[in-house]
Amino acid sequence: MEDLPEEVQGLIEELDEAAEDEDLDKIEDLTQKLLKTGVDLEAITLKKLSFLVMEGEEEMAQGWTRVAIQVGLDPFKTLIEGLAEGMNLIGKKYEQGEAFVPQLLIASSAMYSGMDLLEPYLKREKGHTSKPVTVVIGTVEGDVHDIGKSLVKTLLSANGFNCVDLGNDVPASKFIEAAKENRATAISMSTLMTTTMAEMPRVIKMLKEEGIRDKVMVMVGGAPVTTEYASQVGADVSPHDAASAATWLKSSVNDFPPECERWN
Amino acid sequence: MVAEMTSKERVLAMLNRKQVDRIPAITGSTMVKEYIEKSGGSWPDYHSNAEMMVNTAGLMHTDAGLDNVVVPFGMFIESHALGLDVKMGRIDIQPSVRSFFSKPEEVKYDNFLEDKYVKTTLDAIKLAKEKFPDAAITAFLVAPVTLAGDLMGAENLSMLSIKCLQKEKQMQKMKEWISVALEINKIYARACIEAGADALYYSDASASPNLVMPEFYYEIGVPAEKELGDFVHSLGCPWELHICGDTTPIVEGMSATGANCLSVEQAVNMSEVTKIAGEVPVVGNLTPLLMVEGTEEQITGAVRKALDGGAKGSMLGCGTPPLSTSDRLKTWVKAVADWSAEKL
Ligand code: B12
Ligand SMILES: [Zn+2]
Repeated sequence: MEDLPEEVQGLIEELDEAAEDEDLDKIEDLTQKLLKTGVDLEAITLKKLSFLVMEGEEEMAQGWTRVAIQVGLDPFKTLIEGLAEGMNLIGKKYEQGEAFVPQLLIASSAMYSGMDLLEPYLKREKGHTSKPVTVVIGTVEGDVHDIGKSLVKTLLSANGFNCVDLGNDVPASKFIEAAKENRATAISMSTLMTTTMAEMPRVIKMLKEEGIRDKVMVMVGGAPVTTEYASQVGADVSPHDAASAATWLKSSVNDFPPECERWN
Repeated sequence: MVAEMTSKERVLAMLNRKQVDRIPAITGSTMVKEYIEKSGGSWPDYHSNAEMMVNTAGLMHTDAGLDNVVVPFGMFIESHALGLDVKMGRIDIQPSVRSFFSKPEEVKYDNFLEDKYVKTTLDAIKLAKEKFPDAAITAFLVAPVTLAGDLMGAENLSMLSIKCLQKEKQMQKMKEWISVALEINKIYARACIEAGADALYYSDASASPNLVMPEFYYEIGVPAEKELGDFVHSLGCPWELHICGDTTPIVEGMSATGANCLSVEQAVNMSEVTKIAGEVPVVGNLTPLLMVEGTEEQITGAVRKALDGGAKGSMLGCGTPPLSTSDRLKTWVKAVADWSAEKL
């Protein structure tokens, strides 16, 4: 952004302030002014959005999402290359031990606050994209810890997955029902307690009994869950955190038969 | 050589940085299923029946050989007494808090000491004192940051822990939550000490770098814990501070709270943190799961490693798992005694 003309930089700063103050008229006005300068407002907006989400600046991320809508930016592009990109960037930092959980959480709120504004536009254009891959996600029965689970959901959503969130303290049968109902591609289970780890093999056993184990990929995670444990209980994988869960699933869906083949 | 001590003398000597006859082996939570069943306790009654509670907790001392007797069994008492929803768990899962407040002004604590679980705790302390005069009777309590997290919801605590470092208005909000938590902490602490507790064991699980910003811990957590700790000391009682997760970046702050000992988890390296803590005794760091599925060799190895690393007391990283077995608990205590006989 530093190489932009001074006038443009000034307007961007003013827009940041207007967004922080949630002054909608001023945002609209400044967006017009920016357009008139002839700069590449699309590139600036996407860059701004990813940076603001990464920094967890909720109001500003919302303000710049308004800019994106006003200038008619493709809502999917706004989501994927702007908002979600910021979530991925902070996720990577966390993975490398350079960021803490609170930073992930405020980034997540910033991303969702922008997504809420985009929602009506995303729906309108839904026809033109392929159906997103569905993941059923929850914390197992007996365990109420759900901050980590929600972060996994955020990162999956940021990577274009459709998440069906069952919440926490979820009975095994609920996972099965939801997987069938939504023709899911994957199930993601979390637990933070050693006493509730045994719920994971229970869910997997039920999937087998229902004859649908091969229709879904199973990811398990949470502080006490190790890779060895995952393979021991018959899960497909246990990526070590929320960011790598998204990376793993993204690459694995390519080698997995598509939904219509599996569920018919 | 130090003459043989009672369990209570041993624990208090460690907390006061005096010589001990052998390293004390102590515990945080003690809701062990095998002992509940052995002492005829039934779920969920043992949470509200002081006699059942003490009979179970007492077996940790008389049967397993640990040096303290710890009550109550979970970190839900404070929240329940404030009117929050609590799910009672199972015989092998501690109760958990399921709701939170939206503003500090909503928190009412005038009748705190009338709560049935608070009363059970106080009765259990008195009863344990009578039944086990030679053990260190310890109250297991929720520390201020974690209590503030229960009041506002853990996720909100986590987010506010970074926002308060960025904006003064959020800092004011955080301070209001913490000050309510401290008021409640003090009421409960005084009552436990008056009931006869020999030591208070404070878990500040949610002050962990796994959940909140380390800078926040230094700026808000340390002063809050110190304020409470100074209050406890003014009533003549020592206190222990436990924080979960990898606490290496905050051990220096923990040492500055005035706690009589610091309890750390298996995620930290004992010899590294004892160096940072300096004079302040550090305990803990044994993997809790060893008590459920560890072999004799694994348990002994872990105990010796922590003590070689400079631990002044032997303790599990994060509470005693409900599915611990009595033979493993005994193996642990024996390993502590053997190490002490050899190296002390
Ligand atoms: C916050 C917290 C709570 C909050 C939870 C609020 C909530 N809405 O979630 C409250 C106060 C309610 C709570 C209650 C209890 N807790 Co608690 N809690 C914690 C604490 C402090 C932090 C957990 C956390 O949220 N971390 C941050 C998140 C982001 O991390 P995470 O969940 O691990 O997720 C990351 C990864 O694991 C991974 N991940 C998670 N899920 C998945 C899934 C997949 C598929 C993948 C790939 C990855 C993945 O991605 C995430 C980010 O990368 C820990 C201690 C600690 N410092 O870790 C104890 C802790 C987890 N709690 C514990 C216990 C025992 C309890 C209680 C029983 C009683 C108590 N002591 O308070 C009750 C639980 C009752 C119940 N039935 O569930 C123990 C568990 C011991 C054990 N190993 O068995 C811990 C370790 C500490 C302790 N001894 O108190 N707790
Ligand atoms: Zn802990």
